[in-house]
Amino acid sequence: MNQRDLIQKSFYTLTAVVILIAFWYLLSLILNTPALPTPLAAFKSFFELFTSELMSHLTISFYRVGVSLVIATVLGVPLGLFLGKNKRADEFSAPLIYMTYPVPKVVFLPIFLILLGIGNLSKIVLITLIIFYLILVTTRDAARNLPKEYVVSVKSLSANELELYQHVYFPACLPAILTSLRLGLGIAMSVLFLVETYATQEGIGYFIMNSWSSLSYDKMFAGIIAMGLMGFLLYLLLDACEKVLCSWVHL
Amino acid sequence: MDYLSIESLQVSYVQDNQITPALKNFSLSLPFGSIGVIIGPSGCGKSTLLNVLAGLNQIYQGTVLINGKSPKECCATALILQEYGLLPWKTVWDNVRLGLQIRGFSKKETVLRTEKILNKLGLLYLRKRYPAQLSGGQQQRIAIARSLVLEPELLLMDEPFSSLDALTREEMQDFLLELWHETNLTILLISHNIEEAVFLGQKIFVMSECPGTIIKELSNPLAGDYSARGKVEFLEITNSLRSSLRGLN
Ligand SMILES: Nc1ncnc2c1ncn2[C@@H]1O[C@H](COP(=O)(O)OP(=O)(O)OP(=O)(O)O)[C@@H](O)[C@H]1O
Ligand SMILES: [Mg+2]
Repeated sequence: MNQRDLIQKSFYTLTAVVILIAFWYLLSLILNTPALPTPLAAFKSFFELFTSELMSHLTISFYRVGVSLVIATVLGVPLGLFLGKNKRADEFSAPLIYMTYPVPKVVFLPIFLILLGIGNLSKIVLITLIIFYLILVTTRDAARNLPKEYVVSVKSLSANELELYQHVYFPACLPAILTSLRLGLGIAMSVLFLVETYATQEGIGYFIMNSWSSLSYDKMFAGIIAMGLMGFLLYLLLDACEKVLCSWVHL
Repeated sequence: MDYLSIESLQVSYVQDNQITPALKNFSLSLPFGSIGVIIGPSGCGKSTLLNVLAGLNQIYQGTVLINGKSPKECCATALILQEYGLLPWKTVWDNVRLGLQIRGFSKKETVLRTEKILNKLGLLYLRKRYPAQLSGGQQQRIAIARSLVLEPELLLMDEPFSSLDALTREEMQDFLLELWHETNLTILLISHNIEEAVFLGQKIFVMSECPGTIIKELSNPLAGDYSARGKVEFLEITNSLRSSLRGLN
């Protein structure tokens, strides 16, 4: 990315932020309720609380989402590539995946809390499970639809199975994998909020709900801003990965 | 002794629990260092044949010998496809060196050989580009470079130029002939184009409908003759090929 692109992108981002804040400000004026503080009050609270409270909650939330995304990727990508490559295994597993995929996994939260305790483990397992399916299905479909010619041409160079994954399947599916990660990130953030409102006193979700129940709306919105920023930063990170790893897509 | 000899080859596919032969009683032989062109109707088993020769399909009946060895033992073959041969996620450089990398050449040797072949074909200036940034003709040249870097003896080409425009196609035919003159490659090329077959093939084989077998074999003295495209004999041969292909329908 050259400098002009960067400046342009920053400009667009800034415009988006200004529009968002203006809208928020108008809404708070119109509604005129303590439940929706002005952006100024919220940001003031955000900066006041950032080092003292928000930071520690953010760290723990970041950890939960980050670990979940990594585990889901490490499990989902190889399995997805394998199923997309091997028709037999794919046909065998497809019904199982289709039956379990649409079940909203959040309903298992109580069970996970009982089985895995109220610590990080149950939360991470739940988020991982949800993202895992998304990555698995996307990767599998991308591998399935790979033009046969790529495989044949590399096979004819006497590549073995592992080399086929390395040189063909994985790089070919990488754009789809990163897209599923970006979608997964949005879902992970919502699930994070949900799991952090149960049986925990740590995490940005807890911070938001706790501020809400103590009627400190400025604080609550400071938490929302923090959560939004965290999602945005992770998104930027994935975006950067895509730019670096899949530059061939953008030619 | 022929370099490539195929005798009573039979290859079948299983589809919907039915065994359908794609090649049946197929025999062909090609001397060392010559160019053979196979021409035949769509779906007659041409790609199937090349898959067997390239060692990708090892389930067949009959004898297939490349320099006295089975396709699986013989690692001196290279396969070039019509499209999708190059990997879009690799640069020209990485595409060309892929074969060396897979066959476990040292890093130094890989760089040396890759550079040499790209230089020889006048393609080194394209090394940093991705396939999407190349014209169709350039892509096919790179695909050829990728095969030649392995220093093969037998080059198998599956309709290599059929997605190119007429002019580029002729350029590529000349390019291939030049290459062939410089090396001692044996080339087996599949084509849908009668003129191309006559221009390139010292031996021309016409295949039947599926299940494919050779129904006509021609020795072609005009192969590689740049001035041949206008000659009367050229027309005679193309016409004779055309009528034997027509006879199929
Ligand atoms: N994987 C496969 N499974 C089942 N049948 C196949 C398979 N591949 C090819 N066939 C069948 O075998 C026959 C020969 O196919 P092949 O691809 O070799 O034809 P071709 O001569 O290369 O055709 P074209 O000129 O269109 O490329 C066709 O009838 C095709 O339907
Ligand atoms: Mg074919």
